[in-house]
Amino acid sequence: MKKYFSKEKWKYLWYTLSHPMDGYYWIRRKDKGSVPIALLLVLGFSLCFSLNRYGASFVVNDVNPRNVNSLTELLGVALLYFLFCVGNWSVTCLMNGEGRLKDICTAVGYALLPLILCYIPATILSQGVAADEEAFYFIVMGVGIAWGALMLLMGIMQVHNYSLGKTIITLFLTLLAVFIIIFLMLLLLNLITQVYNFFYSIYTELVFRN
Amino acid sequence: MKKRSFLNKCTRVLAAVMAAGTVFVSVPQMVNAEDEEPFDTYNYDYWEDVVYTPTPYQTDGLVNGIGLTFQGEEIGAFNNPQDLCKDELGNVYVADTGRQRVVKLDPTLTKVLMIYETFTRDGEEDGFNNPTGVCVSQENKLYIADSMNRRVVILDVETGEYLGMVDNPQSDILEAGYVFTPLKVTVDYANRVYCVAQNMFQGIMVFEADGQFTGFFGTIDVTITLWEKFWKKIASKEERNKSQLFIPTEFTGIDVDEDGFVYATNIDENGEQGVRRLNPKGEDVIKKGENSNVGGDLWINGSSDYSGPSQIADVVYRGKGIYSVLDRKRGRIFTYDHEGNLLYIFGGRGTQEGTFASPVAIETIGEDIVVLDALRNSIILFRATEYGSLINEAVALRYDGDETLAVEKWRQVLKLNENFELANVGIGKAYLTAKDNESAMHYLKLGMDKEYYSIAFKRYRNEILKSNLSGIMTGVIIIIVGFVVYSKWRAKHPKGDKKVKEKQSDF
Repeated sequence: MKKYFSKEKWKYLWYTLSHPMDGYYWIRRKDKGSVPIALLLVLGFSLCFSLNRYGASFVVNDVNPRNVNSLTELLGVALLYFLFCVGNWSVTCLMNGEGRLKDICTAVGYALLPLILCYIPATILSQGVAADEEAFYFIVMGVGIAWGALMLLMGIMQVHNYSLGKTIITLFLTLLAVFIIIFLMLLLLNLITQVYNFFYSIYTELVFRN
Repeated sequence: MKKRSFLNKCTRVLAAVMAAGTVFVSVPQMVNAEDEEPFDTYNYDYWEDVVYTPTPYQTDGLVNGIGLTFQGEEIGAFNNPQDLCKDELGNVYVADTGRQRVVKLDPTLTKVLMIYETFTRDGEEDGFNNPTGVCVSQENKLYIADSMNRRVVILDVETGEYLGMVDNPQSDILEAGYVFTPLKVTVDYANRVYCVAQNMFQGIMVFEADGQFTGFFGTIDVTITLWEKFWKKIASKEERNKSQLFIPTEFTGIDVDEDGFVYATNIDENGEQGVRRLNPKGEDVIKKGENSNVGGDLWINGSSDYSGPSQIADVVYRGKGIYSVLDRKRGRIFTYDHEGNLLYIFGGRGTQEGTFASPVAIETIGEDIVVLDALRNSIILFRATEYGSLINEAVALRYDGDETLAVEKWRQVLKLNENFELANVGIGKAYLTAKDNESAMHYLKLGMDKEYYSIAFKRYRNEILKSNLSGIMTGVIIIIVGFVVYSKWRAKHPKGDKKVKEKQSDF
């Protein structure tokens, strides 16, 4: 446990936030990152996301707070996170990527930190915003999202030791891979249900047979 | 912030309990058949979710002609009646289409005052052939759309004497061989006749007082989406011939307000705009409200026969900017104010009393609403409950500009239905004018009115800033001074800086 949550690792998270290129490089080369911290960040992002949807002032927020369910949203965020990581891993394995699954998970998780850092202040700021001052809120949100996207891009780039162009191509392919994974999962689920139904109908036949 | 929302919730729950308590306490004095109504009564909130409301109107019997007498004789049951209207005294005229007559009833719908069946025209006896529309002008002339005789007959209301007719419109803009089949008719203060005719897609036909056809009015534009254009481009000639034509929808019902603005309904396949308010130039000037929708139901998803957009069949202007439209698909009556806000929804299809089989026309007598059902051959009467009439009064007061008087009504509405956003907004705006910004914010937030909430919020923010200016300024100065002192102290004692730098170079 100590290995994953040491003070050094936490400090390195902040270093990566401000020096993404350098930070991600040493995450791959010298194991400076920590997967558990990345997972915690995913959890934190999901909470902030729900908090924002629930608590942001109605002036900027069109979501009905009664419909916000943080558990479903956590499930959604976690699912997307793992799908992306696995998708990226499976693509980069074939494209001479140097990153391990562990590095990809860390890179993507760390890229969520700016989002957390902007969602909370934006939610607080929204309480003091009137209808024609929405821009302030959206600027804060926008900065967070842009920063996160940039970090993700640099993370994937450095972890796999890619050029920028190749990174963008792999990101696109990752998206395709995610869709393929979803498709296969659904297919599998469907087949399993059919097999289950087959055995179940045999069972009912036997049960109702005198 | 979390704490605040929790507190909010607590107060909300408390308020709900209290409101529920007051409702139950006040039940015995008022007419309350609310739970017995055979239809849903609801409204849509800011998020377009269904919110069930108290019953605004409740059924109060029906009139189907049986048992009514005129000059000692039974008038017999209605047969496929298609339209009804009222005059300034509140007398109701029913176009009893299947029996080729128009029946005039008194405002209580219990007495027959007149039956218009035959009249003398140019010395000859004449009658109707499927009269599908009626209207009474301000000069007490009865206009009857005599559809299969291809004319609009004008009679004297009191005597039933023939006064004239509108037929055979002549114009270059009409196709050669056009057959005029009037379905619905209405007349404005200048005796202009607006006529909805069968298979006439160009709009409402307008006739001058002398019967001269002057042109079309309120043409509905056809919108073709890019997608449809694309398909049209790649379709072959045979396919194109077989595909549906892009023609505007026909108007279904028509009414006119005291200023001469024409309310006309049409069936919109998107369910966005079922009613238009046409100015004298024929332009649509209706306000669509917050949801930008005046087409009935907002929840129209599904694939059953019962789902899909509302089919608005008729409209009635009820004064003070309020109008009600009738949905023949689900038998619901939607009432809007002049800003296009939904006030209440009631009615439904079915076989119980108070539900419809095939509703075709809607009219209002005083505050009551009457609906004509063509399949059940009857007029169904609805009376306003306390809830319904409070909303009507409040909206009327606001329309006249008496916002302060309206507040009292809105408060009573909130006691019956604390989820009604319009009532919250009404109260909030009154607080805003009274400069009670905090209360205004509370109510405007409940009413989900971003614009006015922001006004109240800005004022409130300024108030807070002004009253705490000295404290805030002191705080800012202390922070600045503290920062300066700290940085100077830091410059003198550069302790630990080197270590940090060493560590970072390690990375």
